[in-house]
Amino acid sequence: MNNVIVVNVLRFLGLLLLQGLVFKNIGVGWENFPYLHIIVFPLSIILLPLRTPRLLVIFLGFVIGLSVDFFYDTLGVHASAAVFTAFARSLILKMMEPRGAYNMSYSPTIARMGLGWFVQYASILMFAHIFFYYSVEAFTFVYIVDILIKTFVSFLASMVFIMIFQLLLNPLD
Amino acid sequence: MFNLVQLLIKLSGFFLFLVLEAICFSLVVRYNSNQEKVYTNTVNQFTGWLQKKSTSTSQYFQLYDENRRLAKENARLLDRLANAGINLQNPLDTMWADTLNPKYTFLEAQIIQNSINKNHNYITLNKGSDDGVTPHSGLVSDDGVVGIVRKVSKHYAVAMSILHRQAVVNARVRHKYYFGPLNWKSNDIHIFNLENIPKDALVTKGDTIETSGYSTMFPPGIPLGVVDKMWMEPGSNFFTIEVRSFAKLSNLQHAYIVRNIFKEEQEQLEEAVINEDE
Repeated sequence: MNNVIVVNVLRFLGLLLLQGLVFKNIGVGWENFPYLHIIVFPLSIILLPLRTPRLLVIFLGFVIGLSVDFFYDTLGVHASAAVFTAFARSLILKMMEPRGAYNMSYSPTIARMGLGWFVQYASILMFAHIFFYYSVEAFTFVYIVDILIKTFVSFLASMVFIMIFQLLLNPLD
Repeated sequence: MFNLVQLLIKLSGFFLFLVLEAICFSLVVRYNSNQEKVYTNTVNQFTGWLQKKSTSTSQYFQLYDENRRLAKENARLLDRLANAGINLQNPLDTMWADTLNPKYTFLEAQIIQNSINKNHNYITLNKGSDDGVTPHSGLVSDDGVVGIVRKVSKHYAVAMSILHRQAVVNARVRHKYYFGPLNWKSNDIHIFNLENIPKDALVTKGDTIETSGYSTMFPPGIPLGVVDKMWMEPGSNFFTIEVRSFAKLSNLQHAYIVRNIFKEEQEQLEEAVINEDE
């Protein structure tokens, strides 16, 4: 039990630093191609244990998003996307519930749920997160084509990194 | 009740989501200049749209007043047409000489000085002898008679307001044609006295008083006011009639100076008869 919490806290801190210190600069430094933006921190929401209470997930999403915002100096933008992702997580989990229900002591990882299930699950949430993020960043749907292009490109890049992490570390929790 | 509580618990995640999103969006708008611009722009557009709608709606409600005002204006213009021209039923041979010229013309003038708080109030106008103004011309506004021109200089004219103790306007009762002088005796700027109405006259409260056209200053039918109160002094053969005037002298901006083209002709003729009798 304590082990799970420690793992999640460490994962949150690691992803936060990775996002705020490394991936942020990749996005900014790539000025010829502003459409690409690698976002990996939602992984700490996606991988929260299945038994985490729904309200706690949403609240943690808020906290995680807000801490990323402090690195990006975009107060509220990442937080709103993270809250949305956290809210969507319970709906997606309900939709993707395997036959015979979840084992509530598991976390939704590749090791526990299988590669195919995880790719599907993470893709839906990451896409939702990135789309929401770019919508809030533009704050209008006038540039919907731009938003969609950015979302697709960034989604693919981000998913590559997320899959690399998962396959390399392959955590149980 | 239990179901309701259950429903609320079920929706609690959604509510928390909404609350947190609201907080996020307020942060976004507050601390991010781009989003703030988009937000204020949208809000401005919306309020602008709302204001436009509300203005057009209130204009719709003002249409009634506007219509009445226009109808009044129309009536006044029609009156003027009927009364200002000389009688069309002249013999044929004089038709060219007289009937195609109007008898009265109206010269628009701005009011540059006015008072209402004295016993002898005067109005100064920005038109003078250069514009063809002569002394003893009538002065009317959109609402009715305002005064009588007394003295004229090159570019200005001074009229005595009807709020002048010595100003007298020849008046009559509309459609009943009892006539008499109207003057200002009261201390109320809206109340005038109509005199010389005989005690057998069928005048009632609410009758309209207008100019009689018996003087050379005003065409007949210019509205003056309505009968407000009337009574008979004991032993008198005449009514005492108080008239509430139409003229709005307290916020008068412009008025029309009346010119009677045949004024001199008429006055000379009348004087000649009086002189002959004496």
